[in-house]
Amino acid sequence: MSQSFHRLLPEEAHSALVRIAALKSDGPTPVKMQAKGLTVSYSAKEAVKDVTIDVHENEVLALIGPSGCGKSTFLRVLNRMNDTIDGVTVKGSVTLDGQDIYAPNVDAVLVRRRVGMVFQRSNPFPKSIFENVAYGLRIAGIREGGLIAQRVERALRQAALWDEVKDRLTESGLSLSGGQQQRLCIARALAVEPEVLLMDEPASALDPIATAKVEDLVAELRSDLTIVIVTHNMQQAARVSQKTGFFYMGKLVEVGDTTTLFTRPKERATEDYITGRFG
Amino acid sequence: MQDVATIPREIESTRPSRSLVAKGRIVERLVEGLIKLVALVSIAAVLLILLFVGKEALPVLTSAIVQKEVTLGGMFASREGLFSWQPVSDIPKYNILPLLVGSVKVTLIALVFAVPLSVSAALYVSEMAGKRTRELLKPAIELLAGVPSVVIGFFALVVLSSWVQAAFGTEHRLNALVAGLGLAFAICPIVFSVSEDALRAVPGSYRTAATALGSSRSQTTLRVILPAAGPGIAAAIVLGFGRAIGETMIVVLASGNAALLDGSLDHSARTITATIAQELGEVVVGSPHYHVLFFLGALLFVSTFAVNFFGERMVHGMRAKLGGSR
Amino acid sequence: MISLRTLGVTAGFVVAAAACTRTESQPSPSASSSTTGAQPVAAKTAISIKGSDTMVILGQRWAETYMKENAGITIQVTGGGSGTGIAALINGSTDVCESSRPMKDKEKEDLKAKRSAEAVETKVALDALAVYVNAKSPMQEISIPQLAKIYLGETKNWKDIGGPNHAIILYGRENNSGTYGYFKEHVLVNKDFAAATQTLAGTSAVVNAVKGDEFGIGYGGIAYLEGIRALKVKKEDTSPAITPSLETAQDGTYPIGRFLYFYTAGQPEPTTKKFIGWVVSEGGQKVIGDVGYYPLPKGK
Repeated sequence: MSQSFHRLLPEEAHSALVRIAALKSDGPTPVKMQAKGLTVSYSAKEAVKDVTIDVHENEVLALIGPSGCGKSTFLRVLNRMNDTIDGVTVKGSVTLDGQDIYAPNVDAVLVRRRVGMVFQRSNPFPKSIFENVAYGLRIAGIREGGLIAQRVERALRQAALWDEVKDRLTESGLSLSGGQQQRLCIARALAVEPEVLLMDEPASALDPIATAKVEDLVAELRSDLTIVIVTHNMQQAARVSQKTGFFYMGKLVEVGDTTTLFTRPKERATEDYITGRFG
Repeated sequence: MQDVATIPREIESTRPSRSLVAKGRIVERLVEGLIKLVALVSIAAVLLILLFVGKEALPVLTSAIVQKEVTLGGMFASREGLFSWQPVSDIPKYNILPLLVGSVKVTLIALVFAVPLSVSAALYVSEMAGKRTRELLKPAIELLAGVPSVVIGFFALVVLSSWVQAAFGTEHRLNALVAGLGLAFAICPIVFSVSEDALRAVPGSYRTAATALGSSRSQTTLRVILPAAGPGIAAAIVLGFGRAIGETMIVVLASGNAALLDGSLDHSARTITATIAQELGEVVVGSPHYHVLFFLGALLFVSTFAVNFFGERMVHGMRAKLGGSR
Repeated sequence: MISLRTLGVTAGFVVAAAACTRTESQPSPSASSSTTGAQPVAAKTAISIKGSDTMVILGQRWAETYMKENAGITIQVTGGGSGTGIAALINGSTDVCESSRPMKDKEKEDLKAKRSAEAVETKVALDALAVYVNAKSPMQEISIPQLAKIYLGETKNWKDIGGPNHAIILYGRENNSGTYGYFKEHVLVNKDFAAATQTLAGTSAVVNAVKGDEFGIGYGGIAYLEGIRALKVKKEDTSPAITPSLETAQDGTYPIGRFLYFYTAGQPEPTTKKFIGWVVSEGGQKVIGDVGYYPLPKGK
């Protein structure tokens, strides 16, 4: 994989290497996204209350917590997906590289092109495998066939799907198995080269083997981008993330290094949750 | 049996008695049978109509008396270089090509106008309009389906024809274009309604996915929702075609009914349906003219059937392609 | 409405039950009454009339006036075209057929074969078949040969007969219309209409079309002249041009005047006979002028 990577887009491969080197040095990476005093409410009900959190570059941040704790709502605020739902109000600020994405002059469409998203249920378009991945490129105005083909192949390779589908690119995306469909959706999100990838319980509908593949993927993708993953599976959070945040009743109870949070949680609620006393 | 014996008495007593169960089944069977019967009757009615039309059309192929005046070949071949439909004449002429061309021409014109219009309207209502607009607009457009075709025909005859003549300077006031436009009015509601249903049936997850990839609303609508609803919209078009080619009153009133064999839009056209409607009332039962009219009816029947059949297959093919072969 | 067919069925029972009294109660001359259905014992109170679109308004006016004067009688008038009316007469679904052309021999034979009855013809009114043009048209007169050439498709431009340089737009009636038949026989000498002739359902549709079409030409009953003009008609190119009117129609100088007819299958039963008698009497003929046609010449 890295070979063709090199051949196709050497400068990007180079920057990836630089970033990996930075990871290895174990130094803190710069803040990619930041939420400050974030409160989200549906009509009158507050789903997320006064959350402040930093998302660092090239890190995987896992968000855990019981159902309805606001972690998914929080995730959707990060790329303004909540805009499409009526009656949602957002207070506080969310920045991407220091720029407020809720500023009045910001186009939500452009935010979403930089902050991609993968959903709990795989949702490929009823189009061919190739066209599913090419979709984001086409709507971004890329017309050149050769470039699109290169990007599609790279995204499918990144999502570890290329070998399985390279001979059937013209078949419908819906003809794939559940796990393959989810990786197709990841490839589709990756094709537009987002800087941040939001994943909303991406493996919850998959069998264990498919889940393992997605987890491997998350670990690998970290070298290229920043990932925020919502999961109700604590083992998964422990396996894939560097930082973990625990949400409870709309509040961010605790956030810290994954190892620390799971071994020496500061808060009682966190400890109760990770030891399985509720949730 | 042995197991039953071990069950305590009080539990046994809560069971419905045997006779009640049997009674319920009889009622159920009766209702089921009745529904089946009604369904069969409607199928039988269609079959009977088909049989009747077929029986009356058959002499065109079999009866020597009819064939003295008209043969199957004669219905398509030119006579002295002319393709003429002149059934009431010293030498009756039954060339049906002008009628076929008339029907197809008028129907295609109707589709050319109605399909883009109704599909756009469906897109607007299902994707862009607010809830209140949608709740107002959809029933309103569907209400148009209740406008009797004779009213549309009269409107086309009196108003539309003048507009078309003023706008395009057509030589003939009544022509294929006017009739096609009138037909478009008639089929818009059905194409709209079925398309709108198809668009609304597109899963919301496609919309979410497209939005998350940075699609604008129009990109989502045109590049994801519309193609996903493609099979449904194709079905809507097939339905519209069937309605248009079978429509009678509008074309009788608005097309001018001259049996001309040409492709020109501003010439009058005579359709199969208009011919049957205008001539069947007068015709002597059992005459060659009578049988030819039934032959035309059978032809119409067969062609709508064929279009529906192949349309359905096409829709299935599209669905399979979109949804994977599994 | 009681159709003759139902009457026939009822009468079948009546005949069987009261065969002995039948000859007395009904002085019908035809020996065929056993198959056409005998007259009901009670006097008929409903008359159905069907046929020519040209005559439908006339028939309705007659019916209204007659029903006002004769309480208890119901007369139902429907159009559809002379051919439709004749077919209905042959099939036994109407008592009286209105026709704007004489019945053809073939149709009379069919009637005889199906109903075992002779067609009985009554001339009821006079019509001048008018040649319609748009009010804006500069044309004033036309000869029958010119008219024939136009409708045969040989003359295609108004300028060929002294009009503006523009194509002639032909309007006509559908082929079940008596007007169609009359025009074809008397103007086209039984040749076929040009394929480009637009056939419309009903004279009023033709009038409407010509009203909206500066270069259109049409034909139909004189009663329908509204918003359009009727041309003067010359029998030959050299003959005098005659305006369609009561006098010219009655004295036969207008070349395409025609009679309008009632037909019945055999001699009508008393109720219908009385009605037809009234139609040709002064009372009935008085109504014709209101509708726009002409009464029969006196003493005819």
